[in-house]
Amino acid sequence: MILPLILGVLVLTVVSTPLLDRMLGRNAGWPLAVVFAALAAAIGSLAPQVIGRGDTIEHVVTWMPSLDISVRLRMDGTSWLFAMLVVGIGALILAYSTRYFPPGRRTGFYALMTTFAVAMMGLVLADDVVLMFVFWELTTICSFYLIGLSGEKANRPAVRTFLLTAMGGLALLTAVVMLVVEAGTTQLSVILATVEWSDSPGWSAAVAALIILAGFTKSAQFPFHYWLPDAMAASTPVSAYLHAATMVKAGIYLLMRFTPIFGDFPVWNVTLITAGLVTAVIGALFALQRTDLKELLAYSTVSQLGLLVAIIGVGTPYALAAAALHTLAHALFKAALFMLMGVIDTRNGTRDIRELPGLRRAMPVTATLMTVSALSMAGVPPLLGFVSKETLFAAIADGPWTTPVTVVVATAAVGAAVLTFAYSFRMVHGAFWGEPGPSRDGEGSAAYLVGPGVAAVAGLGLGLAVPVLDPLVERVVLDTTTVEHTAHLALWHGFNVPLVMSMLAIAGGSVLAWRRVQVARAVERPLVPVKGTEVFEGVHRGIIGGGVRVGRLTGSNAPAPHLAAVLGTLGVVALTVMVLNPPVPQYPATTTRTADWLLVGLIVVAVVAVVVTRARLAAVALVGVSGFAVALWFLLLGGFDLALTQLLVEILTVVVAVLVLRRLPRKFHPVRRGRAALAGGVAVVVGLAAGLAAYNLTGRRDISAAGQYFLTNAEPETGGTNVVNTILVDFRALDTLGELAVLGIAGLIIVAVLDSARLNHGRLPEPVVALSGNPVFSAVQNSLIMRTVALRLGPVLTIWSLYLLLRGHNAPGGGFISALVGGAGFALAYLAASSAAKARIRLPFTLLIAAGVAIAGGIGLVGYVDDSYLRPLHAEIPLPWGGYYHFTTALIFDVGVYLAVVGVLLTALNRLGVEDDVHAEDARAGQPSTDEGDPDESDEADRLLDEHTVPAGHEGGAR
Amino acid sequence: MTLALSVGVLAAGGVYLVLQRGMVRIVLGFVLLSHAVNLLLMSAGVTARREPPLMDTADPATAADPLPQAFVLTAIVIAFSITIYMLTLAVTRDEDDPEDAGTEPGAEPGTEPVGPSEERA
Repeated sequence: MILPLILGVLVLTVVSTPLLDRMLGRNAGWPLAVVFAALAAAIGSLAPQVIGRGDTIEHVVTWMPSLDISVRLRMDGTSWLFAMLVVGIGALILAYSTRYFPPGRRTGFYALMTTFAVAMMGLVLADDVVLMFVFWELTTICSFYLIGLSGEKANRPAVRTFLLTAMGGLALLTAVVMLVVEAGTTQLSVILATVEWSDSPGWSAAVAALIILAGFTKSAQFPFHYWLPDAMAASTPVSAYLHAATMVKAGIYLLMRFTPIFGDFPVWNVTLITAGLVTAVIGALFALQRTDLKELLAYSTVSQLGLLVAIIGVGTPYALAAAALHTLAHALFKAALFMLMGVIDTRNGTRDIRELPGLRRAMPVTATLMTVSALSMAGVPPLLGFVSKETLFAAIADGPWTTPVTVVVATAAVGAAVLTFAYSFRMVHGAFWGEPGPSRDGEGSAAYLVGPGVAAVAGLGLGLAVPVLDPLVERVVLDTTTVEHTAHLALWHGFNVPLVMSMLAIAGGSVLAWRRVQVARAVERPLVPVKGTEVFEGVHRGIIGGGVRVGRLTGSNAPAPHLAAVLGTLGVVALTVMVLNPPVPQYPATTTRTADWLLVGLIVVAVVAVVVTRARLAAVALVGVSGFAVALWFLLLGGFDLALTQLLVEILTVVVAVLVLRRLPRKFHPVRRGRAALAGGVAVVVGLAAGLAAYNLTGRRDISAAGQYFLTNAEPETGGTNVVNTILVDFRALDTLGELAVLGIAGLIIVAVLDSARLNHGRLPEPVVALSGNPVFSAVQNSLIMRTVALRLGPVLTIWSLYLLLRGHNAPGGGFISALVGGAGFALAYLAASSAAKARIRLPFTLLIAAGVAIAGGIGLVGYVDDSYLRPLHAEIPLPWGGYYHFTTALIFDVGVYLAVVGVLLTALNRLGVEDDVHAEDARAGQPSTDEGDPDESDEADRLLDEHTVPAGHEGGAR
Repeated sequence: MTLALSVGVLAAGGVYLVLQRGMVRIVLGFVLLSHAVNLLLMSAGVTARREPPLMDTADPATAADPLPQAFVLTAIVIAFSITIYMLTLAVTRDEDDPEDAGTEPGAEPGTEPVGPSEERA
């Protein structure tokens, strides 16, 4: 229970920051520091259990059971060490922040710092790799925002840091996925216990490389080291907490965690040791170059992290013991140094050692604390840094290699230590031992110095009492190498190799300190010709530019290139499969009849003609011909409903297409020969693929079980004999409802499109003015026959459509077909009208669509009476003349279908057929317009037409 | 065989048309493609059985597969609504050409032989 409690309390500190900040301003750091210190005490109180008895505390909260991902928390010795650093260093830095910032509110800062603590704590406690990844990313995000808090100059550094560490996050994610696939679980401790790199070295090398990439980007290892000094654009507390003591240790933590798998994997050892030592040496050299104390400390952090990575790479128990100890030592002295640097900076307005006077008299406390911490960093006894560095040397001297390798590694490590001593001296000397001068604002207050003071004193105290750390180090070694290890940490081990290495480091460093003028001149020149940030920006620009170029390939608004690429690829793939001739079963019975060939011929003629023609009207008619052929196909295949639907749809498509075509040029755009050849090629490939696939892959079986089920059970279960209709409204009514919604949305989109973009005027009005005297061109007179036909046919169509609706359950008909028949009636009335204004069918068409979908969806609720949405209910209604009428709620569902389809049709007719000026006139008059000069007799006919196309009571709601 | 031929011819014609300039031809291409797909769905049933699945007269042992028919019935209506929607798009601009001259990949500006405005006359 203690582990979720720790995380919970940290989350509470995040939540409380706005309130604390409102009340206390910058002093909000105090209560937060107290909470952090209390948490440190709580975690410290677990030491007897975790470190002493060697227990592991675990807690599981189920998160995504279906994926077997849980919030698994686990604390072993390694987690304990890092958790202590998070809250311990956190408490010191929060206290320090109350004096670092000028008075005022710091909501963003405190909220992000505590959020970061949550993330870091979650990272080190997570025993689930997915959870660990989530917290890992959260630390990256916190770092981005915390750097970004420092204003505009920090924007690019924040972005660079984020992109680089996020890249590492992606590597970690990939590694996590690979590990989960391999181990079959997301639990970290199980993965670490079960996965063996030797099982498949190639796979292991890939995972190891990804983990190393994640660790290197987070812990600023060469060649990713440059982000850390870049991130120093952040304020000093942020730098001290994230970029010196904790977040950069996340990479170290990750590498330590995965040592059980990879600790004896040569790829791992070689990469970590090489990169670590290179980083250690060049980081130290860069540090020696810098005059800005903050930059110096940033490069020093890079260098120290390099030593840590190298020692983890050694992978022996001794080495991991050194890694644990040095992690602790580094966190203490580096946090102290950063905070003290901040004190100097805020008190003097500069942190450049060339501008600072010798501050040893003006800032004696700061000077003392900084010297103590610097000595720890330089590896001078009796400080903790000395013990940790000597353990480190011992582990290298003890490394499992041949002597020459040991000498090379040891030389590099001692070299880094020499340089460390030199830049530590340079830092202290530069800040305090120049020409004595006053501090601009005097010494820092006690409150200001308490944070760094505690860290510095802890480094001294733990150095003197270093054997108390034996159990901790032993536990970490057990966690990371699964080997029992007995540690004998002490300041004095007798005269041995590690001591000689330490003495060499101190002696060499002293020489460099003595000859500092020459050293400064030697390193004055830039050591490398390129800057990491410039390389990053170059790569970044390159990637963005590459993306732009790739995007431009598909940047066209024209549909043809997009479609050609997709269709062509699809066709080629499908055709390849077909040419490879997969084994297919035989047709169970002959499927071809003589009459079929007539339809094939008809389709070929229609398709060839529509491809060749350049006249729009001809093309529409020819597509209609192909549609009729398809309808006949349906008829031959036994689909009465389909044939009927297809036929009606073809008619209505032509009506709508004609409304559209009159606004467009008579002929299509001419086709260039190259384009025609290309389109033709793609078309032939796709056509061949489709035809061969249809021939080879469909219909070569007996009727499906589902099909047979419907044939057998449709009538007993629904009372309907038209199986297709029962599937639509009884068995799969939810699908039909969905399709109805699509239909309705299409209708509404037509309205929306036409409301936002006016219809074009294209060829309108027709140039018939010169002939207006001729009766043929008088709309009123020449539509007389049509109107007479419509007058008689209209009621018939209406009644027929209602009849089709009612009988649909048992015979060809149903909602779709009856609606199309009714729609055809409206279309006839529309076409017969003498003018666009007369043609208006005054029904609230959008309302019809909505009502249709609502009725179909609403009647489904009734199904709950019988347990399920959309389940039809049945009733036998006695008829007055004897017998029963079989009533089913499926009929009401079909009524919904009817209304929606009619609504969409009316939408198209009204909105595409009516001129904009009619709309405008309507708006002016507030009522439907009438044609001026309309002869009386046609008025009469129109009135009659209106009567049966417009049911009474709807007129008022037309618009 | 015959059904597969019809599917192939309709698909080829549809693809040719959707690769043309001009919204109307693209719409007509989609109509042909939807015909092809509907016939493909029908051919997924057992096309040897062709008796309409009207159970007051048909025998369950020989009636046609009703499942593809149910699919196709709704597909026809939806294809229709999409068709009229696309036709609407064709007339919301002065031209129905979605490719402005010169932006067509591979087209050299100015080589388009006849502008749409010329053919309108």
